[in-house]
Amino acid sequence: MKIKYQENTLHISELSELGAASSCSFRDEVHASLPTDLKMIEIDLSQTVFLDSCGLGALVMLYKTATARNGGIKMRLLNPTPPVQQIFELTRMHRIFEIVKA
Amino acid sequence: MTTTRHASGRGTTFHSSLPCDLKKVRQATTAAAGFLAGEGLSTDELTACELALTEACNNAIQYASEEGQMKPVEIAVTCNPSVVELSVTDHTPGFRFPKSVALPEPESERGRGLFLIHSLMDEADYFRGHAKNTLVLRLSRASPTNRNHETNPRLELAQANRRLVESEQTIRDMAKELCFRSESLSAIFRCSAELGHVNSVEDFAEGLLHDLLDIIFADWFVLRVVSQAGSQLAVLAVSEPLMDLAPLSISPAPESVRSVEIKAALTGLDVYFDQDQPLPADDPLSAVIGMDSQGLVRPLFMGQSLTGTLTLGKADALQPPFTATQLQVVRIFADYLAIQIVNAKFHEERITNRLVSREMEIAKNIQRALLPKSMSPLRNFRLAGFCESAREVGGDFYDVLPLSPDTLLLIVADVMGKGVPAAMFAAVFAATLRGLVLASPGWARQPSLLLSSVNRQMAEELSDVDVFITAQLVFVDVARRELVAASAGHCPLLVGAVHKTEVLAVSPEGIPLGILSDAKFADEIIVLEKDCRILLYTDGLTEARDAQGHFFGQERLTTLFRQSLAKNQTAEQLKQQIATESRRFRSDTIPHDDQAFLILAEENGVAES
Repeated sequence: MKIKYQENTLHISELSELGAASSCSFRDEVHASLPTDLKMIEIDLSQTVFLDSCGLGALVMLYKTATARNGGIKMRLLNPTPPVQQIFELTRMHRIFEIVKA
Repeated sequence: MTTTRHASGRGTTFHSSLPCDLKKVRQATTAAAGFLAGEGLSTDELTACELALTEACNNAIQYASEEGQMKPVEIAVTCNPSVVELSVTDHTPGFRFPKSVALPEPESERGRGLFLIHSLMDEADYFRGHAKNTLVLRLSRASPTNRNHETNPRLELAQANRRLVESEQTIRDMAKELCFRSESLSAIFRCSAELGHVNSVEDFAEGLLHDLLDIIFADWFVLRVVSQAGSQLAVLAVSEPLMDLAPLSISPAPESVRSVEIKAALTGLDVYFDQDQPLPADDPLSAVIGMDSQGLVRPLFMGQSLTGTLTLGKADALQPPFTATQLQVVRIFADYLAIQIVNAKFHEERITNRLVSREMEIAKNIQRALLPKSMSPLRNFRLAGFCESAREVGGDFYDVLPLSPDTLLLIVADVMGKGVPAAMFAAVFAATLRGLVLASPGWARQPSLLLSSVNRQMAEELSDVDVFITAQLVFVDVARRELVAASAGHCPLLVGAVHKTEVLAVSPEGIPLGILSDAKFADEIIVLEKDCRILLYTDGLTEARDAQGHFFGQERLTTLFRQSLAKNQTAEQLKQQIATESRRFRSDTIPHDDQAFLILAEENGVAES
């Protein structure tokens, strides 16, 4: 996983899997790197081939943390792969998350 | 982890045994997926099996009993041409496996595992046993074929064909999405181009949203905007003209929050309704579109402020729900619409303001035109009048009706209230009075008769709107050297003569017009001395206040009047004097009330200045 902070945006990429084993470390690492002047979190899911309910839970938690912050931080999911997109739609989480396809 | 595989009558089976550790799950399920890929499963089938198996293993490990944590989780995957069977044996205390699983609340971080298993698999059975339980999941395969590809070239061809079909489907989907995106863009461009031509933001929004319905395969929309006062959501456009929807009050009261539109407006979040979460029966939308509709409400925001709500729906809850791409398009359209609504509002307000100030300008000109122009109808007598309104137009006015070379009627009146309504009644009063005097000039000699006649004519209209008028009528006859005054609850008129110190405050009895239709008024006759001065005024003059809140007062006005007599001022000079003093007293601020006054002066021996 790669975390980059630039122009008030936290960009998370190179996530190959977001499952039970990896979601804890994903959550902790992202939480640890939330700067105070953060405006936006972008999670690049273009390389994520596997997402399960634990991974979804981690995304929900991050989304809740972001929106609860002072003034609200936007969270966007970028270019999810077809299987991941399918899981968002199946669990209706695409209504909650802002999903952006380039 | 140990894995084995063998073939039997039921199909080929893959076995794996993994320690009770979440970190080992993916290794096992990836291996299982690899086995299934070799069996020729489609991509979708593979994804479904891999995820369902992972969820099952995660559960088996997370809920393992203390004793169970020492034991491995057993996976068995059996595959034949028509079905894939996944079984996971756990060492948990076991639980009641539900027949159907609902999605948890969107904010919930847990509880989607079983939902996924149910959604991805065709069948699920949970067999509980002593200290161990087995979950068996089945998925029917799309096209049952014998996948013994080592020996059967025809089946290789069949597989290749299937892959070709899948690839074609992928390309079709991509083309569809591309087309869908370009359609969205062109709809926005088309509507933007029309923006200059349509008459209203309603027409514009309606056009744009009908395009949106076509793009996302929705059946209906309701667009509401926040009312000017900000307290209501009023309908701006609907897809069907028959959708009769009342404005909604934006309040967190329980009866308001039953509306999904208000809920979205208050929370600022999208609100969805479908089979699982149907529209509340008492939501006004239910009555119009039915409770079995599905769709969403998207609140429209411009920056931080709410501009309205956009509700989109499908008539049938059984149709597929909106996809993520469709929702993305909804978001783009909604953002764009919010901007256009705010722009249109600004534009309309600007035009309205311009219209109002133009209309006020016209009203002001009309009122000025009503004031008499010729101010010296009598030989040796001069008139001077002053009228100032607290707003552009007002309810105070004066009038002079010449009757003969020796007689005239002076009128000063004050309509209770300010602005346009007061000015309208002032105009009606002036016209009625003029009509009466024209019809029977003899009445002017008895102004009390004029007052009671006008009062009878206007009392009903005035009391209907709770307006009353105070007025002072003074008939002047310079041949007889007398005046006849009558008053309808008006402040007294001042009468004096040059170089005399005595100032007469004349206040004939009478109540304001518009209170009692049969009110009686009295006439008072005053003799006109040589070089007389008469001052009629409205209470806006004496009740003007300074910065400390003191009244200008009748005392100050009488003193001014007396000083003017001593100085032998002309009507015009006295007018300027009073206007200047009043302005100085108010420290040049705008008067709180309208002011009017009228001066008649005998100017025999006064040099023109």
